[in-house]
Order: sequence, then structure tokens, then C-alpha cells
Amino acid sequence: MDADSDVALDILITNVVCVFRTRCHLNLRKIALEGANVIYKRDVGKVLMKLRKPRITATIWSSGKVICTGATSEEEAKFGARRLARSLQKLGFQVIFTDFKVVNVLAVCNMPFEIRLPEFTKNNRPNASYEPELHPAVCYRIKTLRATLQIFSTGSITVTG
Amino acid sequence: CLLTGIRRVQDLCKVLQLPKVCEETAVSYFQRALQHPSFHLVSLEKKELLGGCCVFVTCRQHNWPLTMGTICSLLYAKQELFAGVYLSLQKELELSVPALSLADLVTTHLNSFRLFQHRDDIPAQYVEEKEKMLSRTMQVVELAGETWLVTGRHPVPIVTAAAFLAWQSLRPAHRLSCPLARFCKAAGIDLPPPAHLRLKELLGILLRMASQLAWLRVFKMDKKTVVKHMGDLLQHRVFLLRNAFCLEEEEEQRPVTAPGEGSPGSPPAGGGVAQEEGHPKGRKHQQEGRPGPLLPPCLAKPRKRLRTAAPSASDSAITGDEPISDSDIEQYLRSPEEIRAFKKAKAWR
Repeated sequence: MDADSDVALDILITNVVCVFRTRCHLNLRKIALEGANVIYKRDVGKVLMKLRKPRITATIWSSGKVICTGATSEEEAKFGARRLARSLQKLGFQVIFTDFKVVNVLAVCNMPFEIRLPEFTKNNRPNASYEPELHPAVCYRIKTLRATLQIFSTGSITVTG
Repeated sequence: CLLTGIRRVQDLCKVLQLPKVCEETAVSYFQRALQHPSFHLVSLEKKELLGGCCVFVTCRQHNWPLTMGTICSLLYAKQELFAGVYLSLQKELELSVPALSLADLVTTHLNSFRLFQHRDDIPAQYVEEKEKMLSRTMQVVELAGETWLVTGRHPVPIVTAAAFLAWQSLRPAHRLSCPLARFCKAAGIDLPPPAHLRLKELLGILLRMASQLAWLRVFKMDKKTVVKHMGDLLQHRVFLLRNAFCLEEEEEQRPVTAPGEGSPGSPPAGGGVAQEEGHPKGRKHQQEGRPGPLLPPCLAKPRKRLRTAAPSASDSAITGDEPISDSDIEQYLRSPEEIRAFKKAKAWR
């Protein structure tokens, strides 16, 4: 790939993980009984609730902590989290939507070329780590950004952080 | 716990016949790891694996070829758990672990083969000279490395498949009828499941190279007959690889209808959509009898991927602070009748 070539790369956000707190205790049995699209995991003490629009999955603990995954943008994550909080309010809980924070964003990008992973790892130590016995991709950590890249030989790159 | 662990590390080093310097390094890593706060509260099982991880790291740093599979079998440990402890150790102690040398792995792996001495339970034609087999296996592994068959893959199945092909090619008349499974049984090694796929890929590459060798063009090669000519193919592999995959490069350099231009030997440039359009074109070229580009196998034969729908205009207009109507929320709540039915079924308990 020439340095002067002008190739546009599509970076697609595939998942945004956010958390918020309801500032009240949540009765998981009541949520499992009266909520639709709910899976009650009694053994681990949590409830999974899925929303259709936006398409997110919320993990709800009785302490009031809620983690939402599956959104494709930060705004969508916030909207989904608020809808979920509103659903819990409708179920009768004294929910206050607080401490909302986006904790992780996963994006995918495809390079227009293949990558020779052993050589890439050799040239990018110590940031790059490649263990073919464990995973087919190179794990490249950027400490300053607290981001982790998984680089595959096909040129596909996933970024999390 | 510390003394027991140190003793375990030393025993492991003795079993692996490591030199004294490796043992000392492994013990020092173990002591450092146990003193690190991240490993104070881990389970006893993980602390036992920690010793194995320290030995593994030491072997890699001293270019002593040791695979995770070997050390897991010695410790009777699950590979997933071992992998987790190993990655934590590497991160917390900030250890620099060099990559596993494939050449050293080939030598070590072949050392475990029991084909180099006559035995009663294997035919005499199966016995081979170690040096010859090692040299040819190394060439096949190098070929695999140059043709995108090694990168991103577990190394042991590739070495096993390469050793099998090398062994067959040294006495094809007596060995072509022997399948991979029987070869592994005769050699006294396990057959890793991906080895069949690696073998198929290697044979595919050899067949492409054979089509470029002048004195083989008149013959109709298949996966059995190509093994007989492996010596010639490996001897001229640089030239043959360039010829076998250069015709597609010439096609790409001419103006084509594919979107964008790719660099030689790579799929057309652009995002995922362009790549999807490019690969059917690559397959179409192959169907027309032209050789395809030298690509990693997962790119040459991509699996069907579910594409997420492109964000619509309404989705991109979301700000996160829109008002939420009651009717939106009602769909996520059960009606009183549904609650009664659910209670009756006791499905919610």
C-alpha cells in the first residue's frame, strides 16, 4: 500500500457497553414475572432483559446495577438504557437514572491487504503479542488510549476499549 | 505454598531435561509471581498452573521449543485455564516472551516420532532416516509459511501434516497408500484434528506449483501423484510460487471492472462490501481456468457472513435524550392475564 494512496477505511462500531445505576433495590423475581423478553438466571443472581429498539440486552442485578450491551453508538446506548430504566419504573420500582457511563466500545475495520503476523509481532514488540496456540490474531495494546486491537492475517482489525 | 511450588517447578524442569539456568530463571519468575498482589488470592489450581507457566515462559525465552499442549498434558491441566494464567503472568510481570520458533518446533516434534528405528509393529518400509525427514519437513513448513498457511494457525497440525507429506515423498511407492491417521499411529503421536485440513491446503499449493513445472505439465497431477514429485517442487519452490501466482497479478494491473485497485497479490482495496464483490470475481476468474491470487485460505474461500444493516437515517438521528412514550414501554411489560397464566405455569420460579 503506497503512502500516497487515498483509500477510505470503514470503521464500523458493532457494540457499545454502558452501565448505570437505579439507586434502588430491584426485585428480580418481580421483573421476571411481570416483564416480557426476560430471562431469569437465578443461580447467578441476575436478570437479562432484551429490548427491540434499540436492539440491546440489559443485565440487571438486585443491587440496582445495570449493564447494557448491543448498541451500535453511544447515543443509542444511552437511549436504550433510559428505555430500560423507564420499563423498570413502570414495573413499580423507584428508579432514578444515575451514573450512566459508557465503559467499552467495540469497532471493526478491514484493511485492504493481508498481514504477516509473525513479522508484524517482531517489528512491534512489546506492544504486540502473538500466541498462535491460543488465538489466531495479534493482540496489540495501546496503553495511552487503553485500547486493545486484535489484528488478523486477513487484514481485519477489531478495536476494543 | 511457596516451597511446594518451587519444588514442583524444579521437578517439571527435570522432566523436561532443561539446563540449570532455565530452572533458576523459572524459579525466580515463580517467586516474583507469588509475591505479586494479583496472584495472592487465586485458587490453588491456578497457583499450580503458575509454576508451569513460569517454566513455559523460560523455555520460550531460551528458545527451548515447548508447546502449551505438552506442558498442559504434563500438568493434567485444561488449556483454557492454563492460557488464562499464562496471559495474566505475562501482563502482570511485564515479561517479554519471544515467539515460538517453528524451525525448533519441527526438530522437537520430529524427535518424538518413532519412525527412525525398526520396530516389530510397523512395516520396514515405514522406517525413515531422521535427517532426511527433518530436512524435507523443514522445507515443507517453510513453503507453508510463504503461502499463508501458517500465520494465525496452531503450529502443531501444520508440522504434523508437513512431516506426513515429507515422509510419503521420500518413499512414495510404499507409503502413498498410508493415510494420515495410520502414519500418526505408526509414529506414536496424536493426530491433531486440523491436520487433515492443513494437509489438504498443502496439497492444493503443491498442485498449483506442479502446474508450472515444465516436465510435469504433460501429466495429469492429483494429490497422490504430486507427492512423488515433491523433491523437485521444493527445490524450485521460489520460482514456481512466483509463476503459479503471478498471472492474477498481471490481470489486476490491467484496468478491470472491480471497484478500486488492489496491490499485487492482494484482494481489491476498500471496505467489507468491496471485498465481498472482489471475492466472487476472484472465484469467477478461477472458474475460467486462471490461477487465483495468493491469499490466506479464509480469504480465498470466505464463509458467509451476516452483515449488519447499514444505519438508517432515523438511527443516526438518535441523541440519547429523546422522550420515551408509555406505549413504547408497554410492549416490555406483561398484561395481568399473562402474569396470571405465567404464575399458574410457575415458569418464572
